[in-house]
Amino acid sequence: MASSISKAESAYIQVGLASTPPHRLDGRALNDFRTISLETGVAPLANGSARLSIGRNPHDNSGGTEILAATKLEVETIEDGGADGGRVVCTVTCSPAAYPHLSSNALEDLQHDLTIVVHQTLSHPSLHPDNLKIIPGKKSWLLSLDLVILSDAGNIYDALFMAARAALWDTKVPKTRFIEYKAKKTGSTSKEKDGMDVDETPATTSGFDTRQLTNATDFELLDYWDEGDVLDGRELWPVCITLNLLPPAAHFLDATQVEEAAALLKILAIFAFPAVQSSRLQGMHMLGPGEVTSTQMKTLIKEAEIHARELSSALNSKVKDEDVRRNQKAADSFSRR
Amino acid sequence: MGSRIEILNEAGFRSDGRRQFELRDLSIDLSKRGEADGSAQLSHGLTQVLVSVHGPREAKMRSHTFHDRANINVEVVVASFSTGERRKRLRGDKRVLEFAATIKLTFEPVIRTNLYPRSQIDIYVQVLQQDGSTLQACINATTLALINAGIPMSDFVCAVTGGVHSTSAMLDLTTLEENDIPHVTVAVMPKSKKVVLVTMETRLHVERFQELLNLARDAGAILHQEMREAVLERSAGLIAMAEPGTKQSKGDEDVVMD
Repeated sequence: MASSISKAESAYIQVGLASTPPHRLDGRALNDFRTISLETGVAPLANGSARLSIGRNPHDNSGGTEILAATKLEVETIEDGGADGGRVVCTVTCSPAAYPHLSSNALEDLQHDLTIVVHQTLSHPSLHPDNLKIIPGKKSWLLSLDLVILSDAGNIYDALFMAARAALWDTKVPKTRFIEYKAKKTGSTSKEKDGMDVDETPATTSGFDTRQLTNATDFELLDYWDEGDVLDGRELWPVCITLNLLPPAAHFLDATQVEEAAALLKILAIFAFPAVQSSRLQGMHMLGPGEVTSTQMKTLIKEAEIHARELSSALNSKVKDEDVRRNQKAADSFSRR
Repeated sequence: MGSRIEILNEAGFRSDGRRQFELRDLSIDLSKRGEADGSAQLSHGLTQVLVSVHGPREAKMRSHTFHDRANINVEVVVASFSTGERRKRLRGDKRVLEFAATIKLTFEPVIRTNLYPRSQIDIYVQVLQQDGSTLQACINATTLALINAGIPMSDFVCAVTGGVHSTSAMLDLTTLEENDIPHVTVAVMPKSKKVVLVTMETRLHVERFQELLNLARDAGAILHQEMREAVLERSAGLIAMAEPGTKQSKGDEDVVMD
């Protein structure tokens, strides 16, 4: 994934980063991110989508890391391998245009590595959304999150998690309703019920029967003016911070490709913020050759949490803005026409 | 439940409101993406593809080079969310490989490969959204990306999909129409009116075929105009960026007099 650079260039970058004040090739501070631009709703056929780019040149839209994320919901029966309560599956695809110097086998390996990191973090039960059930015990939604890397200019993990979070924020789950079929003495009719209400007066059940069973056999999609309910728990999705480490205890954020080649040791810290003051470390990976002492690790994780919190609040305000832009403004202009 | 969708109704309108020979909205974006030498994002209505071209450059594998010309390598990636139903397409999928081979065969006679012996030109096609006429969009986007990369070609290659509904011919089909009627994809070189590619997987009457070929040539000329305009606009933009601030004072002239 890192481009190969000469020892001289690598030493130049390392010395620049370790000096006081630290120098980076594009003049940023150690903890500055490049410009991040985000747009949601880019794939109308998907249930939720987002296009994110880090470090794209604003004048001619060139360069930068660009990720396209989309979620699709499919119905799954429990017998065919679904889970009661739904499943979340994540896949990362690398476009060969993003890594032109890699052979197709190396590209597949890279895809597999990235998929494992993203899938294991996001499909964890602690982040599982509640509204992926359709008929409990029979049918549920399978949420497939696909991330496509269109170009890579460094800091790919942060970009992947941010794009995933934006696409999941944008996801709408279609509304469904149970259908229960009851045979009456005069013939068969269908009776529709909302939710899990139990029918009170079937003549055959005994008074001692205290089970609350649904006989829901099927479901239907409700015809609604909007795309559905938002995915539950969308405040919970995590963000990732990649700390690129410079051996004598310094670190920097948002590395470009040459900086990544010069500072090979990285720590990925993935944080979720369930409430305003609390935070949860959802995952951590250490990549690259090198070692870190446990005291260093503690300080690094604390600092990563601070950065993650800032990133998370910035991302939240941006996706809310996008919601306003797409939904409310469209509704306003429609009502004004 | 619901009315049957008419491919072409009595008033001459298609299911999406277009006329018989009307093409969908064409949008072209030639801005540079990533490290590609040339790239183009093109959409015909809801079908959107992104093509990046790298090259001519040194080949990844020496065994694949030719001593007297450049090797063209086409790789197609179809996004899982591009169609209505999610379908994960693996890289080695035969359908996708056939698609890539078709694009390669289309461009082999058009690109001046004899100018770059022992090198490789990589064309990476990313299909983002599919709503019918995917091959048409890929070929048009590839032409633009190659031009954007500065690779010499004999001519533009403009592709269009045509189909026939009972006896009426139609151009630029959507998914709904492609599933229903026989259709053929034709790629032409607009200046010489020569046909570079004809591909069809359904059954079509021979007389209709002649009609469709003629229509496709005309449609190719229209697409050529649009593509040329986009390329000229992009070139003008690049030239303006290169010229250091000579023509930037025009804005002062727009003063509103009260």
